[in-house]
Amino acid sequence: MSVPLSHEQDGASRASTPDALEGRSLTPDPPHRTPDIDGGVALDRPRELRDVRRFSHEAMATVYEVYAVHRDPQYAAQAAQAAFDLVDRLERELSRFLPNSDITRINHLGPGERTRVTPSTLECLLIARHMFDLTGGAFDVSIGTGLPALAFDPDESTVRATAQGVRVDLGGIGKGYAVDLMAELLEEWDLEVALVHGGFSSVLALEPPPDLEGWPLTLSDPRTPSRVLERLSARQTALSASGLRKGDHILDPRTGAPVRGRLAAWVTLPRPRASASDRDADEPRAAAATVADALTTAFMLLDRDQVEAICRSSPGLEAWILEDAGLVHFAASARRL
Amino acid sequence: MAGEDGTGAPKTQAAPDEPRKLGRREVLKGLSTVPALGLFGYAWEKQRRYQQAKVDEIAAAAKAPEGLREINIALLGAGAQGQVLTDAMLRIHGLRFRAVCDIWTEYNQKRVVNSLKRFKHEPNAYEDYREMLDKEKELDAVIIATPDFWHSQHTVDCLKAGKHVYCEKEMSNTLEGARAMVAAQRETGKLLQIGHQRRSNPRYLHCYDKIIQEAKMLGRIVTVYGQWNRGVTPDLGAPDRYVISDARLAHYGFKNMHQFRNWRWYKGKGGGPIVDLGSHQIDIYGWFLGANPSHVMASGGNLYYDPKTHEWYDTVMAVYDFDTPLGPAKAYYQTQTTNGSQGYFENFMGDQGTLLISESEVNYAGQLYRDPNAPSWDEWVQKGYVSAPKEQETRAKSDSGAIADVRESVAPDQHTVPVTLRDPYHQPHLQNFFDAVRGQARLNCPAEVAYETAVAVLKVNEAIEAKSRLSFNPQDFKA
Amino acid sequence: MDEWKTSRSGMIAITVLRVVVGWHVLYEGLAKLTSPSWSAAGYLRVSRGPFSGLFHWIAGNPQLLDQANQITMYGLTIVGVLLILGLFTRLAAAGGIAFILLFYLCNPPFVGYFYSIPSEGSYLIVNKNLVEISALVVILVTRSGLFAGLDRILHLLVFRRTRLAPA
Repeated sequence: MSVPLSHEQDGASRASTPDALEGRSLTPDPPHRTPDIDGGVALDRPRELRDVRRFSHEAMATVYEVYAVHRDPQYAAQAAQAAFDLVDRLERELSRFLPNSDITRINHLGPGERTRVTPSTLECLLIARHMFDLTGGAFDVSIGTGLPALAFDPDESTVRATAQGVRVDLGGIGKGYAVDLMAELLEEWDLEVALVHGGFSSVLALEPPPDLEGWPLTLSDPRTPSRVLERLSARQTALSASGLRKGDHILDPRTGAPVRGRLAAWVTLPRPRASASDRDADEPRAAAATVADALTTAFMLLDRDQVEAICRSSPGLEAWILEDAGLVHFAASARRL
Repeated sequence: MAGEDGTGAPKTQAAPDEPRKLGRREVLKGLSTVPALGLFGYAWEKQRRYQQAKVDEIAAAAKAPEGLREINIALLGAGAQGQVLTDAMLRIHGLRFRAVCDIWTEYNQKRVVNSLKRFKHEPNAYEDYREMLDKEKELDAVIIATPDFWHSQHTVDCLKAGKHVYCEKEMSNTLEGARAMVAAQRETGKLLQIGHQRRSNPRYLHCYDKIIQEAKMLGRIVTVYGQWNRGVTPDLGAPDRYVISDARLAHYGFKNMHQFRNWRWYKGKGGGPIVDLGSHQIDIYGWFLGANPSHVMASGGNLYYDPKTHEWYDTVMAVYDFDTPLGPAKAYYQTQTTNGSQGYFENFMGDQGTLLISESEVNYAGQLYRDPNAPSWDEWVQKGYVSAPKEQETRAKSDSGAIADVRESVAPDQHTVPVTLRDPYHQPHLQNFFDAVRGQARLNCPAEVAYETAVAVLKVNEAIEAKSRLSFNPQDFKA
Repeated sequence: MDEWKTSRSGMIAITVLRVVVGWHVLYEGLAKLTSPSWSAAGYLRVSRGPFSGLFHWIAGNPQLLDQANQITMYGLTIVGVLLILGLFTRLAAAGGIAFILLFYLCNPPFVGYFYSIPSEGSYLIVNKNLVEISALVVILVTRSGLFAGLDRILHLLVFRRTRLAPA
């Protein structure tokens, strides 16, 4: 979720499918609130995308979708289902609502206590910690409760708390992480022509449909979705969005105060490598969507100078920020997607 | 800075007890508060030591106890369930993975081996379990998560090779297979735990031991109902590049890749949703009621999926009769695979109270309702067996009004089970198994117990086919 | 201070007060110094009252926050040691007053404010911070270090020298 910081609407968040054992997931109750589609991202003229199939799945209080082109629709459906099963597994590890998830266990650690987590939980936390440092605490999965008090041991895959009261909520990064992993899985299934997204706030475009240079995407004003601000053509690129609907607010984890003036932020980041299936187990994951997800949250808060500094130091990174005054674009170079 | 209290002070201004000259007396006065700093240092050191000791204590508790003998284990079956069990076992101290066996060497086997290597295990990989049993002489125990129709042979061979076995449920897809497992266990004297993991779940144990047995809060349970509903999903597939050769599939009893991935739906391989899902919960029916069923009637069919690839029933509704120690009871169970609404739970209704429990605590917190005429539960609230009641809104309303609302009966107080499981669902059951291997515990679900459940569950498919009410003989439950 | 002279027993009591306050301040400082993750951020973030804007601003600026943390940790430790020893007592007392006044202003128990930080007592305008500030004022004006503390020795040494120098 890219708007997780107004996060006290808990109860509604459902849990899904805690038993993987039957190899199938249990489709959960529908969430009691509409999935967040407030990022203002959409596929441009989806009807014109011929031969593209769409598969949907509810998880993590939003809707995940796979758009793919494949000669065998049944095969594509099975691949998409495998990707959705993966999301369900991640939710069991990353949800702070489930009493026995990795994150809940971390949130119950006393000072000096440690708990072992799955490699994916640890990887997601390590990226979150890295983004915390990169953004000077503007992206903070602990929402000001002291992320530095968590010590990560990748060898043992454990998390240790050095202080009491750290509360982690991966809402601002978990969707991006899920989308990154789903894309790797789809490539493993040879579904290279595909686009994956979670609630359209974390989007990962792989290879585009035939005859297209990229997946056509639009960014629009979250207050009036019909007002298109930008059109993008995305290929091997992650796009993430953070936005506010009326009545929503976003809290600055550094001050605890609500942020004013920002309506939405978008970030695009190229995927470093097309295929990650033959990546070494020790090699860090090319987690473009995860990083983009964290950056949009941070860019809702950071000064323009700080946003510009981050964009300058990250080749290929582009950002758009919608303020009351209008849309501002940031990029290291003039190169467009 | 020295002038602050020295030169800075005007000479005319008399400081209290103005010192005159630097004598021994003056130096002593000047140093008189220094011991306080020493005292502080002492107290500080004490405090630091205390804190450090506490941190060490916690760290020590988190580490494996000294002298804990490592148990050498192998995983046989590295599919979805094998991976769930592996994740849980990686959180248990004192285990050493020696081998992983799976016929899908290109995919699942590789995945599990890689993830174990991340945790400093060096497991050998096998395609054929016999080769594994031949070569891995040091194994103490084997964890079996293969398709149901392999359970019996795998378990029997592992037991006979002198290994303790944790085998996933359903024990076997046939009663002959299950009986062979019980016999092999008795013959070898090795441990055999079956994966009905709710039997070790602290929430279920609390319900049985405290709420039902000790406090008898439900009174006499007369009716039970439960369900596991699941939404429509496509069949499981496999990445094209990792498809297994037909020859290897045939060697291990599969017609093709589709059957390999979706064996649960095929007759002769699995038992369909009633066995995959229902077995977990029908097991709890018998456990909590303290009896095996006397009769079952059931209806089911393949209402939705292609019967060519889904030989077992996608929808099943079953009613059991139980003769419990307290009197007769009826228990309903349904599973369907076309709408996942309301998920899965078990609901026990006694003449004094109701217990609604599910493995999924987030969806069903373990609600308890006291019958208005039942004795007070205050004692159990005080003992912490159940949470304090949450007043129902309807009651608050009717109390505030001048005239009570008589159209509906007053809703009973809602309590909850005050126990939470923080570990993965299967971890306590596996822990119980390994504790038993070390001689420190008794199995929560030994072969004989799981056999009784298998008898009760497999009969449902029989009853659907026979289209009639079938009866159990008490002897049926003895292997 | 010429006009009145504190009795000897009064001065002993004030010395005890000084040591006790110093003890507390020192422990506050050391505890923060030795806790790897301590930061004033949480405290600043919940700031209320007329100066909350300033404190929020500090909390929101990572560099400034880091400096504030360093100053607080070392400042409290040094002030605590000096108070116990009775060395540079007036400077230490003034420093202590400044620190605790900041804590007080960050979350003053003014009428109508509600705090998320749980507190162990009940306060209206006066809280323990204010009491400690008052104690430090007493220590400051009575120059307790001159009665019993290293200032006494320092005073004599410096006094002598200054007296000897012109002579």
